[in-house]
Amino acid sequence: MKSNTGLVFALPALIVLFMLIAYPVFYTGWLSVTNDQGQFTGLQNFSAVLRPRVTTQALWNTLWWVAGSIFFQVLLGVTAAILLNQNFMGRALVRSIALIPWVIPGIVAATTWAWMFHTEFGIINYMLTSTGALDEPVGWLTRSNTVMPAMIAINVWKLFPFVAIMVLAGLQTIPQELYEAARMDGASYWEEVRHVMLPQIRPVITAVTLLLVIWALNAITIIYAITRGGPANRTVITPIQIFRLAFENVEFNQAAALSVMFFAVVMLIVLAYIKAFASQPGEVQ
Amino acid sequence: MRRSRFTSRSLRRPGLNRPSIFLGCIVLVFVCLFPFVWMSLSSIKVLNELYTIPPQWWPEHPTLANYHKVLFESRIPRYFLNSIIISVAATGLALVLAVFAANGFARFRFRGRSFWQACILVGQLLPTAAIIVPLFITLRVLGLVNTYWGLILVYMIITLPLSVWMLTSYFKAIPLELEEAAIIDGASRVGILFRITLPLSLPGIVAVLVYAFITTWNEFIFALCFATDSRVKTLPIGLAEFSTEFNTDWGAVMAASMVMTVPIALLFLVFQRHFVGGLTAGASKG
Repeated sequence: MKSNTGLVFALPALIVLFMLIAYPVFYTGWLSVTNDQGQFTGLQNFSAVLRPRVTTQALWNTLWWVAGSIFFQVLLGVTAAILLNQNFMGRALVRSIALIPWVIPGIVAATTWAWMFHTEFGIINYMLTSTGALDEPVGWLTRSNTVMPAMIAINVWKLFPFVAIMVLAGLQTIPQELYEAARMDGASYWEEVRHVMLPQIRPVITAVTLLLVIWALNAITIIYAITRGGPANRTVITPIQIFRLAFENVEFNQAAALSVMFFAVVMLIVLAYIKAFASQPGEVQ
Repeated sequence: MRRSRFTSRSLRRPGLNRPSIFLGCIVLVFVCLFPFVWMSLSSIKVLNELYTIPPQWWPEHPTLANYHKVLFESRIPRYFLNSIIISVAATGLALVLAVFAANGFARFRFRGRSFWQACILVGQLLPTAAIIVPLFITLRVLGLVNTYWGLILVYMIITLPLSVWMLTSYFKAIPLELEEAAIIDGASRVGILFRITLPLSLPGIVAVLVYAFITTWNEFIFALCFATDSRVKTLPIGLAEFSTEFNTDWGAVMAASMVMTVPIALLFLVFQRHFVGGLTAGASKG
C-alpha cells in the first residue's frame, strides 16, 4: 500500500503538534535574544539570567533532585517488581494497590504528604518520636537540610510504581528456558535474580530511566505546591526558576534564555543517553 | 486455571519463601496505601482531633462537616465541572487525532514515515518548562488564555504523542487479511478504520482514553499558568488554592483531596487491566 494516504491520515496530528510544540520551541529561541520591545539584544538575557546566585543553586538542586529521585525509584521499582513476579495468592490485588500512588494526582500527593510531614501534628514525626527513632519532632519542610530529601521521598513514592509495573512486564517475558538452564547449573534464587532477571530487564530499565529523567525535570508540581522553592531557595530547581521568572517577575525574555539553556542541556543528556545505551546488544528498538 | 498453575510451579525454580513474600507485600501495601488512608481518616475528623499532640489515629466523632464545607462553601464544585469539561474534550480530541495518525503509521508506507514517528515521540520527551513561556505567549496572541479552549488544546498536545504510540502498536497487531478482505468487498479506507480496525482494537482505545483522562485530570503546572480566572480553573489549582484560602484547614484540604482522587481512582481500578496492558505493550514493542 504505497501512497500518501498514510501521511494524510497522520497530517492533522502532525500539524497540531507542530503548531503547539515546534513553533513555541523556535519562538523561545527568538525571545531569548530580544528584549520586551522585540529588539535584538544578543546574549544580554543570557548573562542577566546567569548572574544571580540562585541560577547556580537551582542547577545543583536540579541535579540532586533528578539523581536522588531516579536512584530510589529504580531501586524500589525493581525490588517491587521482583516481589510481584512471584506466584502467590492475592498478587493481582497487591499489584493494583501498588499502582495507587502513581494514579493519584500529583497535587493530592503533595498536600497529603505535606500534612503527614507537618512538624507538630504530622503523623511521620509522631511515628518516629514514639518509637524512639527521633528524640524530638523535626521540621521536615522548613529545615534546609531535610526539605530536599523530603521532596525526593514524595517523588519516589509517586513514581516507583510505574517502574515496578514496567519492569514486571519485562520480567514476565523472560523465557522459561533461561530459568531452567539456571536451575540445571544449581543457581540459588538470588543468583537467578542477578544472572537471569537483571540482565534480561536491562533494556526496560534503560527505557524507563530515560522517561524518569524527563519526568523528574518536568515534575514541578510537588515542589511548587509544597515549598514554592523555599526555604531560602533550597528546593528551587531550574524549571521552577523558569516558572518564577516568567510568571512572577514577568521577565519573559530572561525566562526564555533560561529555557533555551535548560532545553539544550536536557536534549544533550537525552541524546548522550540514547547513544550510550541504544547501540548495546539486546536493546529493544 | 488450576492446571496451569500446577505445571508452572513444577517447572519453576524455588523462588522466595512464603514469609518473605508476605512481609514484602505488607510493606509494599502499607507504603502505597498509608497516605491515602491517612487522607481519608483526616477528612472525617473534627478540628480538635486533627490538631492534637500526639495525633489521634481513629476519629472518635467522625464528621462530614469538612465535605460540607468543600461541596457547599467553596468553589470546588465549579472547578470539578471545569476539570470534567476540559479533560473530556481534550481526551476526545486527542483520541480522534491519534486514531487517524496511528492508522496512517501502522498501515501505510509513505516517505518520511519513521521521521514523522520520531517527531511525535520527541514531543513526549520535551521538558515542560522549556515550552511553557512560548506556549503562554502563543495562547495570549490567540486570545485563548483563561478559556476552556486554551487548556483543551494544551492538554490535547501533551497526551497526543503517547496516545499515537500506544495505538500504533495496537493497530499493527490486527491481521492484515481482515482489511484486505474488506477492500475486496469494496470498503473504503475510512470505512475499514471504523468497521474493522477500531472495534478490534477496543482495549487499546480504552487504554488511551484512560491514560489521557488521568493525565489531563491530574495536570497542574499548565493549568496554573494558563487558567488564572476562577471560571476556568481546574481542580488541582482549586486544591492548591484551598490550602491558603482557608488558612490551611487541613480537614477541608483532605476532604477536597478525596473529592478529587476518588473519581480517578475508580476509573483506574475499573479499567486497570486494559490500561496496564496498553502501556506495557507499547513499552515492550518500544
